[in-house]
Amino acid sequence: MADTEALIDELGGLALFADLPRPELAAVAHTFEEEWYADGQRILREGLSGTGFYVVLEGDVAVRITGEERARLHRGAFFGEGAILLGEPPGADVVAAGRVRVVNLAGPVFREFLMRHPDVMYRMLQEQTRRLRSANRWSR
Amino acid sequence: MATMVLTLDDKAAALGRVALFDGLERASLLPIADAATEVAFGDGDALVIQGQVGTGLFIVVSGAVRIVLSGEDVARLGPGDYLGELAVIDRQPRSASAFAVGDTTCLALASWDFFRRVDADPALAHALLRGLALRIRSLSEHHHH
Amino acid sequence: MEPLATAPFPPGDYPLVVVGSGPGALQVSYSLRRLGVDHALITADDRPGGMFLRFPFFQRLLSWTKPYAPAPRGTRAYERYDWNSLLGDEAEHRAIQPELMDGSSEFPARPEMEASLAEFVRRSALPVRYGVRWQATRQDEGGFVLETSAGEYRARHVIFAVGVAEAFTPEFPGREHVAHYVDTRPAESYAGKRLFIIGKQNSGFELASGLLSWASRIVLASPRPAKLSVQTNSLAGIRARYVQPIEDRFMGGGVFILDAAIDAVERLGDRYLVRTRASDGSGNLDVEADEVIAATGFTAPLLDLPALGVATFGPSRLPAQTPWWESASVPGIHFAGTITMGAQGLKKNGVSGTGAVHGARYNARLLAGELAERHFGIPRPRPAIDPKAVVDRLLEEAADGPELWNQKGYLAFAIVVGPDGPHEDGVVPLQAFVDGDGGDGVAMTLEGDAEGAIRPVAYVRRGGAISELTLDPEPLHEFRASGDSRRRLTEALRGVLS
Repeated sequence: MADTEALIDELGGLALFADLPRPELAAVAHTFEEEWYADGQRILREGLSGTGFYVVLEGDVAVRITGEERARLHRGAFFGEGAILLGEPPGADVVAAGRVRVVNLAGPVFREFLMRHPDVMYRMLQEQTRRLRSANRWSR
Repeated sequence: MATMVLTLDDKAAALGRVALFDGLERASLLPIADAATEVAFGDGDALVIQGQVGTGLFIVVSGAVRIVLSGEDVARLGPGDYLGELAVIDRQPRSASAFAVGDTTCLALASWDFFRRVDADPALAHALLRGLALRIRSLSEHHHH
Repeated sequence: MEPLATAPFPPGDYPLVVVGSGPGALQVSYSLRRLGVDHALITADDRPGGMFLRFPFFQRLLSWTKPYAPAPRGTRAYERYDWNSLLGDEAEHRAIQPELMDGSSEFPARPEMEASLAEFVRRSALPVRYGVRWQATRQDEGGFVLETSAGEYRARHVIFAVGVAEAFTPEFPGREHVAHYVDTRPAESYAGKRLFIIGKQNSGFELASGLLSWASRIVLASPRPAKLSVQTNSLAGIRARYVQPIEDRFMGGGVFILDAAIDAVERLGDRYLVRTRASDGSGNLDVEADEVIAATGFTAPLLDLPALGVATFGPSRLPAQTPWWESASVPGIHFAGTITMGAQGLKKNGVSGTGAVHGARYNARLLAGELAERHFGIPRPRPAIDPKAVVDRLLEEAADGPELWNQKGYLAFAIVVGPDGPHEDGVVPLQAFVDGDGGDGVAMTLEGDAEGAIRPVAYVRRGGAISELTLDPEPLHEFRASGDSRRRLTEALRGVLS
């Protein structure tokens, strides 16, 4: 397999994986699959089942609900976890806004991955809490 | 000051009503309940001060609590109500102050105690993640620009 | 192989150039030729075969060709049982592989596969220019310029069917002492040796299986645990044929399997010391070996295409592609053969399209049709279909369509609705249908679930929005006979077909 050292370094620079020692980062790098998207290509599809978990390495993605852009995500952001955790299709499209590199993990192995890397799960808990605070503010 | 001695079961029951712990099984709640302590407040005592680092969550067991935002009363909590639920995870600065009205007893859960329990039980962390995802999803579905 | 009196395709200008000699290149070129698209097919090899000129070393292919199957040889239905033959328009170009097998196995030996590809070229009189090595690429206002050992080829469109068979060995101290899988010698030369194989994917296990009776000891090592295809219920992971070394290891027969990274390889006279570090953090282990082989995988030999702007990703540096196998970053560069595994499709539940012959041959045929339509003014036939016949047609393709069976969740049979009613769009990449902005329609595919049950899944597009309809599995895959599937599909298409 081609040099994953660069990918390991990249992952180590993201908040989600900030607590991981290098051997654990290497395991994460081997478990995820890198993907590349051109501008406008859909990464996550509203209403379709079997979607995966994504972390943005490079570039921006747009979150759209029935065509309308609701948010932009950047390097380090993750998405797709809601659909996997809830067993429901995603409620939004996520589309590449310009060229994007992500790492992807298939839905069926997501839970097992989190169990094996509790530090990643805690970081996700903190980010989810931040998102909930933000959503709470908007819903008033 | 009246003191109440809550049993572990009482504490678990109180925690079970917090949205963050919605859906958690009683078995998962007991270790968290074990970490929660009863705290008594006199009239006017501060539970939290606006702008301070959030250290955890408070559930009102008896008495009442005034929520004050930038000098103005904005809400009143009674038995069963709670505040700082998300601070137990992210310790964000308190968005408002809270003061006891009359003798008040609360159940307090410090974020570090909470995390020790979650650390020991990844399945609990996963369940919390699920609960948060559900709440985010339902809020996103209902929000309009 | 008789040389042509004059070699075809001298250097010069062509509407399109195909580079490669393997199944992907041959299939796309054949299909383009049949459609009337003028193009050149060039390869550095001196005969057809691609990777099958050399690999696999010790084993038969992992893809089957059953001489006796539930469908007669040469029919479309038979393609499901013959993963190795290319797709011919005429009867004598179809199902060539079973004719060339000696009957001792349902998996062709490498020479049999090579022979079948050569026979396809011979029978179809497919013109190929051999001995031309592509060396460099540039782009100008006329399109692409391929610099080759014979001169320059210029075209607006190039299809690279160059495979994913370029040896890759990661960097570590002592890498120079390590041979790669591609340089494996005849089995007897490993007699009595202690062998250390770096890598636990199919190539590593293929070597271990092939050398089990020769090597005195075999150690296989890589950071991650081996995954078996029988565990994943798919083709991903170590195939069943290679499980013998794993069994050997359990029985203490001289095979050792480590989940460890390689820190260094040191030479000690005529021996080697491999320094490993356990993945679970349990410590280091130094292993002596007489031979060290890196079965560490392959990359796509894209030469200077990345410098031209072709985006790549992943450990094999596959080119990022659109659903129709065009470079996602450089229009005009297209791909066929194994390398199309870089177009992963919807990747539902982590399952991608396959680049193996049985799947990639359909990708190649579809690519030819798409290029013919989009760039050469040769539209695809889209026969009208009676709205009342649509449900039957969809279930028929689900039951028998070899494209759907060989590329599950990746290729789909589509019906599109025009102003005059529904038309068959034929087989298309599912991702193109789902992400496309076409009008109303429906695409039927097959998907396997975690338990291995195969279900028809219909994607219905109505007013720009896609919905998914997952139908039930049937014990003998007789989807046409299911009244329930028929009813649900009819319901889902209400208001779409008219």
